[in-house]
Amino acid sequence: MSTYTLARNLRGTVKQTHKPGENPWSVSRIAALLVLAVLAATWLVPFAWAVVTSLKSEADAGASQITLNPPDGFSFDAYRKVLSAGDIPSWAWNSLITSVAITLITVATSALAGYAFSRVNFKGKRWLYAAIIAAIIIPPQLLIVPLFRQMLAFNLVDTYWGIILPQSFAPAMVLILKRFFDQIPVELEEAARVDGAGRLRVFWSIVLPLSRPILAAVAIFVFIGAWNNFLWPFIVTTDAHLMTLPVGLQTVKSAYGLQYAQNMASAILAALPLVVVFLFFQRQIIKGIATTGFGGQ
Amino acid sequence: MTTAIDTPATAAEKEVSAQGKARAKRGENLTGWTFAAPFAVLFGLFLVVPALYGLYLSFTGETLTGSGSGLVGFANYADALRDPDMWKSLGNTLWFTALSTIPLVVLSLALALLVNLGLPGRWLWRLSFFLPYLLASTVVVMFWSWMYNPTLGLINGVLAKFGAAPVAWLQDPKVAMISVVITTLWWTIGFNFLLYLAALQNIPEQQFEAAAIDGAGKWRQLFSIVIPQLTPTTALIVTLQILASLKVFDQIYMLTNGGPAGKTRSIVQYIYESGFTGYRFGYSSAISYLFFALIVLVSLAQYKLINRRSAA
Amino acid sequence: MTDLSRRGLLKTAAALAGAGLLVGCAPGASRKTTDLSYWHLLTGGDGTVMAGLVDAVNGANLGFHTTQTVLAWGPPYYTKLAMASAGGRAPDVAIMHASRIAGYAPGGLLEPWDLDLLAEVGLHESDFPVRVWEKCQYDGKLYAIALDTHPFVLYYNTEHASKAGVTDALRSMQSPEEFTEVANKLQKVTGKHGLSYGYLGDGSQMWRLFYTLYRQTGADMKLVPGQQAQVDKDAAVKTLTFIQSLLNDTIASRSGDGGTATSEFLHGESGMFFGGVWELPVLKDAKMPVDAVPIPTLFGTQAAYADSHTFVLPRQSKVSPERRKHVYTMVAEILKRSVKWAGGGHIPAFQPVAKSAEYQALKPQSNYAGIPAYVNYDPDAWFTGAGSDFQNYFAENVQNVFLGSGDPGAGFDGFVARLNKLLDRPQPV
Repeated sequence: MSTYTLARNLRGTVKQTHKPGENPWSVSRIAALLVLAVLAATWLVPFAWAVVTSLKSEADAGASQITLNPPDGFSFDAYRKVLSAGDIPSWAWNSLITSVAITLITVATSALAGYAFSRVNFKGKRWLYAAIIAAIIIPPQLLIVPLFRQMLAFNLVDTYWGIILPQSFAPAMVLILKRFFDQIPVELEEAARVDGAGRLRVFWSIVLPLSRPILAAVAIFVFIGAWNNFLWPFIVTTDAHLMTLPVGLQTVKSAYGLQYAQNMASAILAALPLVVVFLFFQRQIIKGIATTGFGGQ
Repeated sequence: MTTAIDTPATAAEKEVSAQGKARAKRGENLTGWTFAAPFAVLFGLFLVVPALYGLYLSFTGETLTGSGSGLVGFANYADALRDPDMWKSLGNTLWFTALSTIPLVVLSLALALLVNLGLPGRWLWRLSFFLPYLLASTVVVMFWSWMYNPTLGLINGVLAKFGAAPVAWLQDPKVAMISVVITTLWWTIGFNFLLYLAALQNIPEQQFEAAAIDGAGKWRQLFSIVIPQLTPTTALIVTLQILASLKVFDQIYMLTNGGPAGKTRSIVQYIYESGFTGYRFGYSSAISYLFFALIVLVSLAQYKLINRRSAA
Repeated sequence: MTDLSRRGLLKTAAALAGAGLLVGCAPGASRKTTDLSYWHLLTGGDGTVMAGLVDAVNGANLGFHTTQTVLAWGPPYYTKLAMASAGGRAPDVAIMHASRIAGYAPGGLLEPWDLDLLAEVGLHESDFPVRVWEKCQYDGKLYAIALDTHPFVLYYNTEHASKAGVTDALRSMQSPEEFTEVANKLQKVTGKHGLSYGYLGDGSQMWRLFYTLYRQTGADMKLVPGQQAQVDKDAAVKTLTFIQSLLNDTIASRSGDGGTATSEFLHGESGMFFGGVWELPVLKDAKMPVDAVPIPTLFGTQAAYADSHTFVLPRQSKVSPERRKHVYTMVAEILKRSVKWAGGGHIPAFQPVAKSAEYQALKPQSNYAGIPAYVNYDPDAWFTGAGSDFQNYFAENVQNVFLGSGDPGAGFDGFVARLNKLLDRPQPV
């Protein structure tokens, strides 16, 4: 089954409601609804509990009795403290810069290479293509030691480039884009080429506009991965000012004891950007994941 | 930019076509590599080079501080094969993979089937199950460490209300791995769920209608139409899930740091620890390659299995 | 999302990335020589006191400003520190447990302190306890300046003790039998346990008690690379058997973890508590009737497991002599104020403070102020020390002995076999 048909079908997200002539409130449907509601509620509990904790005072958050009605009431104090004293804004900035750069470079390089594989017959193509397919099963986790050594040699430890470059290529995305370009009729390009347009021009003004949805899908997938990646940024940064959000939150501790409310406020703040983006672009993101998911893991 | 093919083809041009072909071929090579170069350079520098360099390191006694760079032959590999910690971490990794893959496939299918029934509130269900997948591992772990906290956590708090004894979710050697799996399930199920949901919507409606006319009940339809139709999707999800579970690091490292008593330490964590905590870069690289060999084997086995099934 | 907004988004993103990359290419290059970076792993009560000390020194207007970065305790901290040093981008000064120096100094990850410069800021060998100063040395050079000694001690509930009539015995007991008797008497008073001791899943806790008692038998442990570990198995079995006898669910919980043990003792459900001196603030904050003494000498020889927080100079590829000078001053200033640090339970290493009337007046700290004279650190080896694998190996082999299901001899043999494997390997630093 092609992943594109999957994606196409996801577009019709409200395809199936109950069928005509079927009782929408049959016992089995209500039972199914109950099961779903319980499961979904269970799934939201860790979120909800984190939010509740983050709104309590430190004294209430550290009390051993669990309660939804804390003596000190609810407030945004923890958020205020975390935002004013902590490193969270600068980590978020680092995350944004590096994730955006990784996304742009990955999409650009994958699209160019995917096009070359799809359309151009160049020497060494098959050899490079085989290497890319082989590379898909190499888990990047296994390369941390030699890569760290290499980054020391390149003087890239504790730099943005050190975080960005090793994450800025994705063999799986090259394959996905190649397969997409394969489906675009060659005739569209040939007409333009006869009119005298060069390859790059054809690529830029004909192929890319046709590929917007798939490029967006790849970009979304890459961005989420980069924003949330932990291991590599964790290895390559030792300077607390250069850490990304996930790394900083894990590595740097508060000097002032365990502060549960602030801890949860930090977690919520770190989660917020992607959650908000998701709420706005739910359809595009889901489509993006479904399109790229199989190739992208 | 290019004006070489500006003029229409003429007889004169056809005469030099042999020459032109060679030139065109050169042109194609140049164009191809120009397009592929940015990717190829990154790919070479940050994947091929470290992969080869890691292989070289695995035959040296190299350390974090740069000492011991001499070749030691297969000593690191021999050492690794006799290292109880390596075997234990590998065992933990396989155990985690088994414990996590089954519910991550079965439960995600169940969730997708439920959501696909077309019940009201569809976007809410989808959101609930998928949202955790968007969180960074760090955030997931912060949420769950708090849930699991032995004295202040919500889970033990609720248990206490029912009069149950508190459980040391992350400290008790018998429970820690289960806790890690629960967190992983919560975090990553949304991905498989989405893929199943997409696949479900791909099953043509007519098939159900035909089956309904035949008098097949809902459950019969599920087992005779839906699940067989999903086989290719299931095969892919299982493959991806096994490979993803084998590489587990983040959530274990942050939840338990491999404890208690090494009971949850994964092989990737052992690679990290041998290299960066134990300073032994050469040794760490050797374990990486042993593990890589395992991944290749698993991938090949799955490839064979899937191919045989689709051929049958 | 419309195409227009997507394009707009992309443009903004590109601009952001461009700006960020330009700014971010040479981080830290323009750091002033008056800005000191300082890493440590102190959180909780210790973290608060340390932050106060750093603020106090910053506020003294000595011509420099220190920024502290706090990293997670244990392996994460030490791994990051080693990686930063290997990359030459380490902080100007960092805290390290004295027990870890042997793992860092030989690989060139630390730089030695200059005795002349130390003298200039008023620090001399004679200002530190002999054994502590020795532990800060490696290969004849001084790699660390000790801030404190933090031993493993015995806390007791003074009310329960007087009710049980064991107040004097707690200080005078000299044998395992006497200890058991005292514990049983306290158990009768509390009705729950006589002793609280949390160790489950925590190799450090297991090691601290074991090593204290093991050294009390007069046994030693020497780890020389390339040789078999030199240990005294009989002494180890004797020690482990005794510990096992205490964890019988009457005297102490058979499977106590740190949190449970502390809260049990806090709530008066036990009479004694084995813990590090760093637990003191929590116990004092709870306003419970508590006192602390060195763990009584039960096996004939005075001994106490302890470690020390020390200041070290991680290797930097470029050292600014000016900044380095500020580091010396900063360390000296913190040491001079370390009576505040003693408030957190620790024994100050700096003798002018340790001998001051202000420190001697602190109770119960002064009860155990004599420990540095006979303190026992982890055996010297590159793999030992606080938060190291060494303590994990101990836990992996001996935890079931503590739990009552394992044989002491077999557990200890497993531990030694593991040590021998490590000693057999070439030293990686």
